[in-house]
Amino acid sequence: MEVEQLWQSVLSQIQLSISPANFATWFANTKISSIDKDCVTVSVSNSFSKEWLEQKYHKEIIKILREIDPNIKTINYIVNVVKSNKKSSSNRKQGDREDGSSEQLGFAELDINKETNLNPKYTFENFIIGPFNEMAYAGAMAIVEEPGKNYNPLFIYGGVGLGKTHLMQAVGNKIKEKFPEKIIKYIPAEKLISTIVNAIRNHNIEDLKKTLRELDVLIVDDIQFLAGKDKTQEEFFHTFNSLYQKNKQIILSSDRHPNNIPAITERLKSRFEGGMIADINMPDYETRLAILKQKLEEKGYDFDKDVLDFVANNIQKNIRELESAVNRLIIFKKTNNKNPTIEDAKKLLKNIIAAPSKITNFKKIIESITAFFDIPSGNMFYSSRKKEFSKPRQIAMFLLKKELKLSYSEIGRKFGGKDHTTVIHACQLVEKLWDEDEKTHQEIELILQRIYSN
Amino acid sequence: MNFTILTKELKKGISLTEKITGRNLTLPILDNVLIEVLPNFLKISSTDLELGIQWWGLCKTEKEGKIAIPAKLFNQVVNAIPEEKVTIKEKSNTLLIEAKNYKTQIKGMPADDFPIIPTFSKDLFVEINAGKLKEGLMSVVNIASVSQIRPEISGIYFSFEKETVKLVATDSFRLAEKVLSFGSKGGYKNTFKEPIAFILPQKAAKELINILTDEDKDIKIYLSESQVLFETYLNGMEHQEINLISRQVEGEYPSYQEIIPKEAKTKITVNKDDFSKQIKTAGIFGGRTNEVILKIEPKEKEIEIYSQDSEMGESTLNLLSKIEGNDLKISFNWKFVLEGLDNMKASEVTFEMQGNDGPAVIKPIGDPSYLYVIMPIKI
Repeated sequence: MEVEQLWQSVLSQIQLSISPANFATWFANTKISSIDKDCVTVSVSNSFSKEWLEQKYHKEIIKILREIDPNIKTINYIVNVVKSNKKSSSNRKQGDREDGSSEQLGFAELDINKETNLNPKYTFENFIIGPFNEMAYAGAMAIVEEPGKNYNPLFIYGGVGLGKTHLMQAVGNKIKEKFPEKIIKYIPAEKLISTIVNAIRNHNIEDLKKTLRELDVLIVDDIQFLAGKDKTQEEFFHTFNSLYQKNKQIILSSDRHPNNIPAITERLKSRFEGGMIADINMPDYETRLAILKQKLEEKGYDFDKDVLDFVANNIQKNIRELESAVNRLIIFKKTNNKNPTIEDAKKLLKNIIAAPSKITNFKKIIESITAFFDIPSGNMFYSSRKKEFSKPRQIAMFLLKKELKLSYSEIGRKFGGKDHTTVIHACQLVEKLWDEDEKTHQEIELILQRIYSN
Repeated sequence: MNFTILTKELKKGISLTEKITGRNLTLPILDNVLIEVLPNFLKISSTDLELGIQWWGLCKTEKEGKIAIPAKLFNQVVNAIPEEKVTIKEKSNTLLIEAKNYKTQIKGMPADDFPIIPTFSKDLFVEINAGKLKEGLMSVVNIASVSQIRPEISGIYFSFEKETVKLVATDSFRLAEKVLSFGSKGGYKNTFKEPIAFILPQKAAKELINILTDEDKDIKIYLSESQVLFETYLNGMEHQEINLISRQVEGEYPSYQEIIPKEAKTKITVNKDDFSKQIKTAGIFGGRTNEVILKIEPKEKEIEIYSQDSEMGESTLNLLSKIEGNDLKISFNWKFVLEGLDNMKASEVTFEMQGNDGPAVIKPIGDPSYLYVIMPIKI
């Protein structure tokens, strides 16, 4: 006889001999959790029920059980709390917050699933697909179908605020939904580094290795931060190999192509390239408009088409900025109780759109370049003939000319009194590479993004 | 059953246990307290199936016995007894209360119907100074989330480490952490091998505050897989006085340490009482959203506290302050700020901020054991 039927027959007979209130209180959410030879284990929902069943109804229960199965000798009672459905609760919570008219911020960390580190707000449902991220999306979907089988690792790269994190977390959340038994972990690279450093300090690196190697899906965000962290790279390399051999899915993201990440060992680089590398570009106009509409819909607002047009036309490079524009429009609507007109929108978004982000200076450019290539910013950079220094220096000259409109001789002076012809040569060289060499082009794009971010 | 007891004692016992009984329609027995007469002791128990309280008091026992009695009614009757001593008997499920000029009968129910309050293995326990625990608990208990949507944060997080005890509560908008440190002076003993932690429902925590005294006594804490027991002792005796048994909240407490910012972009130092007063005054115009704005400029010697409500008006207040770091305009729910300040005893506090959309921390100067993290309102 089935375990469930066995318990049902107990319940049906007990019900006849006690009051409905008692029955509802003590027998709610009870069941037989296992039968081992002559011992039956009954799980109940709280300790009070456990005591009550043990002391008041035990005789009756065992009598009924023995009538059905004479072999049963003992009953164990255990407390097994019925867990509430977590997913629905987190959704409801977001609803709550949006209903309130104040924008009281909450601790974002509390929404994050402790086990997987994933934030439930990132899903495929609110991820917008366009030509700019099609490829990464396709890769992600293939992984969700069969984690570890296709494209391992999946390497996603692209600029800031374009949805890398969203996509990766959505993959994680979807896998968790489809295969609840899989162990998933999302780790930003910075966190990975600090965890490894702590583990080394506390002498429990073996434990860490073990937990990392038992994962089914490992997602590491912003992997470029591993640059220059040799010990972390080594640990990561071994973890990577061990997961890879067991066909466990690995997903990585970076702000640039693996080839462009400086100070990362060749063996890691080649492993990154072993699966699929997908880039996320700037979204096109149509996609930007679609994103705007979706964001507004999520928040329950709708604005004039020409206002949306204006936003989509003027904010081109960063989805996060689109979001902040949407928020500004909504606050305007809330405080003035009318939809913003195009004039209002122009005023409201002046800060985001107009030039402050285009203002930069010598220091910022140099810092961005040295940080990007991970080279010391001292004099070496100004004078060395080594290739690792000369190329960044040439790019620096090119950008100083292009962005700050400095004169050639002034740039020369800033680089330790170089002749203006040297500077002209450098600029022309980089200009040519910019047009012809895809890799250099991409590097410069990324540097520009760094210069003008924040 | 037949016993004689001091009325004062009886009053204490019933008022402690009566609180958690309520009108329970499905299981009327829960409106009752269970009265048990044991050798030399009277024991009164009550439960709502999540929480149970048991109280013991000395009495002169003639005959043992037990009965369940409607709690509210019994409380009213006992509180009306004018005399110092009272004798109580039981006859066919009726309680007879007799004193010199006083006789009452209360209809009860058979004691067998009363729920059995779970028992605990008492091998491993934590022993802790009651006064300190009470004080710590009071400073965090009201911060826990009232809503049951996220059960983990609807309770108070207790973490017992080697030499410290941490009490934490959050409702996702603010968080309070109290660290009780015990040096060599004692006041804390943990016989568990590993650090232990559990989440206590807010209601149980409030009851616990009620039963804890400020006196320099210790209480013991025992754990079972889903329950926790707090046990206090009778003055000068080895015998237990009050047991509070509660379920633990299921689930894992969020890794709250990550929320607490490690450094500050803008930091102000202010007199606590003045700050409380100004925040409260600004709150008058906080409107429905309770919003007040702090304007902080490092070159000034004062911060500006501004609030406005489109219907009522507005207020601008200044407050003397030491200011370090960046300019900042930041908006808070004034009630949240005030609740945090109210839990601090120091005369000066620091308020450290991370820009207008990141968590801010209020710390009392000279008291590293307490901190209060609060999220701003989006400007």
